[in-house]
Amino acid sequence: MTTQTVERARAYDTTRALLKVSNLEVEYWTRRGVVRAVDGVSFEIYPNEVFGLAGESGCGKSTIAHAITRLLKPPAYIVGGEATFDGADILRMDEDKLRGFRWEHIAIVFQSAMNSLNPVLSIREQITDVIQMHRQVSKKEATERARELLQVVGIDPSRINSYPHQLSGGMRQRVVIAIALALNPELIIMDEPTTALDVVVQKQIIDEIRELKERFGFSILFITHDLSLLVEFSDRIGIMYAGEIIETAPSREVFTNPKHPYTQRLMNSFPTISGPRQALLGIPGSPPDLITPPTGCRFHPRCPVMIQGLCPQVHPELMAVSASHRAACHLVAEEAADYAKRA
Amino acid sequence: MQNGHNMQPILEARNLTKHFTAGNALSKQVVRAVENASLQLYPGRVTALVGESGSGKSTIARMLVRMYEPTSGELIYHGRNCLLEKGRRELLSYRSQVQMIFQDPFSSLNPVRRVRDVLERPLHIHGKARRGKVREQIYELLHRVSLTPVEEFADKYPHQLSGGQRQRVAIARALAVEPKVILADEPVSMLDVSIRMGILNLMAKLRDDEGIAFLYVTHDIASARYFADETLVMYAGRIVEGSTSEELIQDPKHPYTQLLLSSVPDPAKGLRTGAARADKGEVPDLAAVGNGCPFAPRCPHVMDICRQAMPPVTPLNDDRWVRCYLYEPVPEAVAARN
Repeated sequence: MTTQTVERARAYDTTRALLKVSNLEVEYWTRRGVVRAVDGVSFEIYPNEVFGLAGESGCGKSTIAHAITRLLKPPAYIVGGEATFDGADILRMDEDKLRGFRWEHIAIVFQSAMNSLNPVLSIREQITDVIQMHRQVSKKEATERARELLQVVGIDPSRINSYPHQLSGGMRQRVVIAIALALNPELIIMDEPTTALDVVVQKQIIDEIRELKERFGFSILFITHDLSLLVEFSDRIGIMYAGEIIETAPSREVFTNPKHPYTQRLMNSFPTISGPRQALLGIPGSPPDLITPPTGCRFHPRCPVMIQGLCPQVHPELMAVSASHRAACHLVAEEAADYAKRA
Repeated sequence: MQNGHNMQPILEARNLTKHFTAGNALSKQVVRAVENASLQLYPGRVTALVGESGSGKSTIARMLVRMYEPTSGELIYHGRNCLLEKGRRELLSYRSQVQMIFQDPFSSLNPVRRVRDVLERPLHIHGKARRGKVREQIYELLHRVSLTPVEEFADKYPHQLSGGQRQRVAIARALAVEPKVILADEPVSMLDVSIRMGILNLMAKLRDDEGIAFLYVTHDIASARYFADETLVMYAGRIVEGSTSEELIQDPKHPYTQLLLSSVPDPAKGLRTGAARADKGEVPDLAAVGNGCPFAPRCPHVMDICRQAMPPVTPLNDDRWVRCYLYEPVPEAVAARN
């Protein structure tokens, strides 16, 4: 089954991927045991695309972001797999090369990033620091660029000498985005970039990010637990469960035609402000402990359509059901086989 | 501020106001956290209080459970102004009727107590424990919040439970004193998406089967639509609009409610840009809000009068009202009825 999956994946993989992650494995070595936080995850991000990664807390989505930027700290270790960026092998880069690589090619906006600004440095110093670390420019040129960047993210450049505490949460988050944009990276990883913000400010910032993306043409790895926001903002989505990606598809399709029973239940787990008001069930049970994950399909203990004798024993691989839609569930095997014959 | 269902409110807040004093002796600042908030809770109904962080919604809940003493206003429980009853016994008796559930089920349960101890304590404190029947009472509580098998859950410690299970224990603890009113302050916002509906559905069942009145404090207006019969919208310390939840979502009246709803991500509608684009304003500093409508500085329809005085409550129909000059003057037919 594995080789078949690879074959199909290749057929789908026609355009040039900017970031390609294959069989990534990350473990946390804790006193309680080894946690397989990311277990054989593969995905690609294409130029100018917003790829959304969703899942419940502890499913491994943030760990992936840290792994592909090589920011994991012990006790977390990358134990297998590959990640290439425009052909460059990220996981085997030395520290020197890595420093040039981050911010230049991949920038990062982490969860509660607005609190990650240095409180004793002015906004100007924080932006020019990043520019001067990577570019041979004078202080004056760097400041000029910093002003431009503030303008770009909708902050009056006259506030350049402000300190973080003088700015609201939304403005601080804009500054962090300005820093991410400073060196024109091809990919920006945004891990819960608006989680701490109110919904009106969130909307403003998401709209702004979208415009910036159109203007500068970067890709985004967008990580959030907010499924409404994820579906609205992403072009394509990967759904994670217990350390694995169990479904990938264009975002409309994930919402309207999910294949994996977990995705189906997940998409029926949150109320929306439009459409009929209907009973929502959520998903009984809780995500598993990743020290001793369930055998077979990891979702089988919570799955309403689990097949006895199959799902608890046999681990389903990610299978393509169309050119852009893959799911890891035994129930789609037939559909996937049909598609493989046609393709 | 009326209701189309001809019921007496069980708990009513009349013009509740809470001012906090910040700063030191030299530069005192009054933070007007809540200004003249009025609301009614009815048996068997859920009222949602929706607002962004710092809007004062949790402060209202804390005044209703008498954790904060209001600066002014009345709190009417079963027809009595209970703020006048300050004794320990009266407070205990009030709290056995009005219970609160908090956002964080990880910190609201004592980590060294088993579930059975967590549930037994309020039974004794509020004199609800029945001689020789306590174990059955505990099992029954666990059963009501669907933590089964009950014998197994009774012996667990909080760290052995998931977030959703802990929140169920917190609900069971609230139920132990047989409350008539439950104030739930963001009860699901820290839980995973797949778990949230289970908790909201459980509370909806308690509303329907046992007639408990709920106040649902949340920042998530979509969940208010799902769970609450009526929704109140708060902005900068003021309740600015009240309506049945569905009507509010379909046809928001207050410009702030309109902005809020246009900002909520909606996967069913797909991409919409620009809705909140014009709005660059941010929530005002509660120490600097003047006498006018707090939304005036951001409001696209602002008029002179808006900056001078807070608009009065304008009833729109039996189930709706708004505090906004756009809807003044009061239509005579409606005014006559009030």
